[in-house]
Amino acid sequence: MNALELRNISKKFTSAKTTAVNDVSLTLRTGEILALVGPSGCGKTTTLRLIAGLERPDSGSINIKGQLVVDDGHFTPPEKRGVGMVFQDHALFPHLTVFENVKFGLKGQPAAKARETTYGMLKLVGLENFGERYPHQLSGGERQRVALARALAPHPVLVLMDEPFSSLDADLRHEVREQVRGILKAMKATAVFVTHDQEEALYMGDRLAVFQNGHLEQVGLPEEIFHESATRFVAEFMGDSDFLPGTVQNNGIQTELGLIPQKLNIPENSSVEIALRADDVDFDQSDHPNALVLARFFRGAHYQYRLRLTSGNLVHAFKSHTQLIPPGTSVRAFISAEHQVTIFHNGLAVEAR
Amino acid sequence: MQRWKNFLQIPKRINISPRLLLAAGLVALFVAIPLVYIFFRAFTGGADVWIRLLQTRILKLLANTLLLTAAVTCGATFVGVSMAFLTERTNLPGRHLFRWMLALPLAIPAYIGGIVHLTLLRPRGGVIPQLLENWFGQPVPTPSPLGFWGAAFILTLFTYPYVYLLSGAAFRSLNASLEEAARTFGRNNWRTIWEVTLPALRPGLTAGALLVALDILSEYGTVALLRYETFSSAIFVQLSGRYDRSAASILSGILITIAIIILWGELRLQGQARYTQMDSQWRPASLLPLNRWKIPALLLVLLVVSASLLVPVFVLGYWSLTALLDPETLSSIMRSGSQTFGDYIWHSLWSSALAALIAVVLSLPVALLSVRYPSKLSKAISRFTQIGYAIPGVVVALSLVLLVNQFLPFLYATPLIVVMAYVLRHMPQAIRASESALNQLSPSMEEASRTLGRTSLQTIFQVILPLILPGLMAGASLVFLTSLKELPATLLLRPAGFDTLAVRVWIWAAEGFYIQAAPAALLLVLASALPLYFLLRREQIFK
Repeated sequence: MNALELRNISKKFTSAKTTAVNDVSLTLRTGEILALVGPSGCGKTTTLRLIAGLERPDSGSINIKGQLVVDDGHFTPPEKRGVGMVFQDHALFPHLTVFENVKFGLKGQPAAKARETTYGMLKLVGLENFGERYPHQLSGGERQRVALARALAPHPVLVLMDEPFSSLDADLRHEVREQVRGILKAMKATAVFVTHDQEEALYMGDRLAVFQNGHLEQVGLPEEIFHESATRFVAEFMGDSDFLPGTVQNNGIQTELGLIPQKLNIPENSSVEIALRADDVDFDQSDHPNALVLARFFRGAHYQYRLRLTSGNLVHAFKSHTQLIPPGTSVRAFISAEHQVTIFHNGLAVEAR
Repeated sequence: MQRWKNFLQIPKRINISPRLLLAAGLVALFVAIPLVYIFFRAFTGGADVWIRLLQTRILKLLANTLLLTAAVTCGATFVGVSMAFLTERTNLPGRHLFRWMLALPLAIPAYIGGIVHLTLLRPRGGVIPQLLENWFGQPVPTPSPLGFWGAAFILTLFTYPYVYLLSGAAFRSLNASLEEAARTFGRNNWRTIWEVTLPALRPGLTAGALLVALDILSEYGTVALLRYETFSSAIFVQLSGRYDRSAASILSGILITIAIIILWGELRLQGQARYTQMDSQWRPASLLPLNRWKIPALLLVLLVVSASLLVPVFVLGYWSLTALLDPETLSSIMRSGSQTFGDYIWHSLWSSALAALIAVVLSLPVALLSVRYPSKLSKAISRFTQIGYAIPGVVVALSLVLLVNQFLPFLYATPLIVVMAYVLRHMPQAIRASESALNQLSPSMEEASRTLGRTSLQTIFQVILPLILPGLMAGASLVFLTSLKELPATLLLRPAGFDTLAVRVWIWAAEGFYIQAAPAALLLVLASALPLYFLLRREQIFK
């Protein structure tokens, strides 16, 4: 059984001109972590709030663990949905201790059992000695873990996380997300995770759902999203791709950087765009240059170069530290990818023939 | 028709609880009672009364009232802003102490300040003219505290703290970067203040000034004391002396109309006024050196502090001591008729405390609705429930006298009608406090509680109320403070034997027994200073 099913969910806010969530359908298997990712205002947080019951959709239906929670005629309030939520600002209750915060969702259980569960949860997140403290006495990372423990304590059928790491410093964020993913997996929790950070989505999600302007652009495994982007937007947002124009020919695609021997399922002479990442492009110094080095960026393990092709198009290329090419040098750029590159026609990925 | 439909349309959101809407609607109906009834009585007052009043009273009263309101509003704004500027933005010596001393006159009801200044300055027999006469052996002309100028002077002294507090907070909350940006564009310190700082504070300051204007429109004690006739005092006379209720209703209708126009302006500005722009980047702006202006500035502040705080408190203290040391005066203070001094205190305390409690409880549904479910309807309800600002105490009293006589005779001549007047008049303060407390509470707190299995009602009691309690206490303190000082409605509505401290001060002073009135007045000031201290400690500038 699917842990979560969204069918044709749409939501428009009265104050807004555009639709926040537009005809989104999704399913989530038990024990899976789904990352909703996209730029701000793309509808990912609204989708999460619709699942939690904090907003009501204009149309469409949602099932949680086979139970209908909302459709045109029915609305289950958030307190009856059995979901746990971790908020962007953590929303720990400042008037309650850490222990009382975590126990808050265990209402109706016998006191002894609730205490035991709370203690177990605090232990799981490594805060068993922090129970008597108040939220303002905790560091950002500790608060984050309390919020997670509180959401997980009632053993929700579904955990919802709204940009839970955005309030943490960059180095702490990496540490905490590793812990959080470990805890979620240890509890075999089913989770929906919202982020605007592509890298975080690729790390946290068993699968990813990429949003733009309220639309669901693509759902898939991290590898699929990264290497087989379904739309030009996904390739651009998830992979920092450059786009090189090309023309379909009988034997491949003619581009400024030569012929790419990939055969496509569309008519000849169609214009297409080829998504190129910095690791797909290389260059050398030659007598027949076709590009100019504009800038060089130090990226730790390697240098990234920005090249302007004769046509004016920009591409990026990685090179190791062994060579240092100063900006202003004329070079010959070429495609070095050993795998098939992704090709878009009218914004959508084109299948190979 | 379509517009009305839009207006009444409830946005499709989760759980806009019909119960909450109903509760807020009932509160709005409750506060609407005096307003609707006064207008009804004014319009059905009879053409002959209207014509008679128009020919004899209305123009004169209108001129008097508007003139005083304008003069005090300008005066209080000027004093308030300049005092705030000196204590917040310059290196004035002792400015931390002056901050307190400039805010504390809020604890002194204007009519008590008026009693003190009148006794000191009255042309014949005043303390200072007498002293001067003894000194020089002949009468020396001194400015009289009676009439327009006296009323404007005294009301300015005791209302400027409203503007002072608002502009002080605004001066503080303005980020240094704003002024620094202006200076990088080549403005010097003083031009920056003039061109950037003051304009940035303008919406907040105007709102404060309009609050002062509303206060003056409803002021009764001081103008009656200084024999300057305004709408409020004229209505009081009609009501208590001549018992002409039609005339009183007509005058009230006109007064409320003026007040509503001012309140409407204030409410519009409230939306734009941002008193706190503090974020994590905030730094206080640097202090301006006064240099050779240091001494004149210090003298100016001392003058304001003396006239509005030190002199009244010192004089009241001196008189109180005199009264307590004189056995005959003391015994007439401790018992007059069947009431003892303890009774006055008890009456003041319980009626004000009960009013504060009721006002805060009633403010909650309105605040919850307007903050958590913002819509045109909820905003309209929230604004409408602030109508109390525009209904002077005498008018509240008039409407309650008329209404209760007609519909709830069992309430008449009970202290509960006094409490009801306090609630109607001071509810806006509770509503604003509750709304600002709720605004500071992140909605995610409530959402977290909902996802952890609490219903919306359980969330209110287990999460919202515990967290906004300090804010609610602030609102309650304000209502308590202003109810304690309330004079005209209490005078008109109190049943026999229900004298409060304020009423007693007024009665004794009106009979000329200043010494006798002093202990009660001092106690009233001290009792008001306590909640005021609590309120000021919540402000950033008084930590």
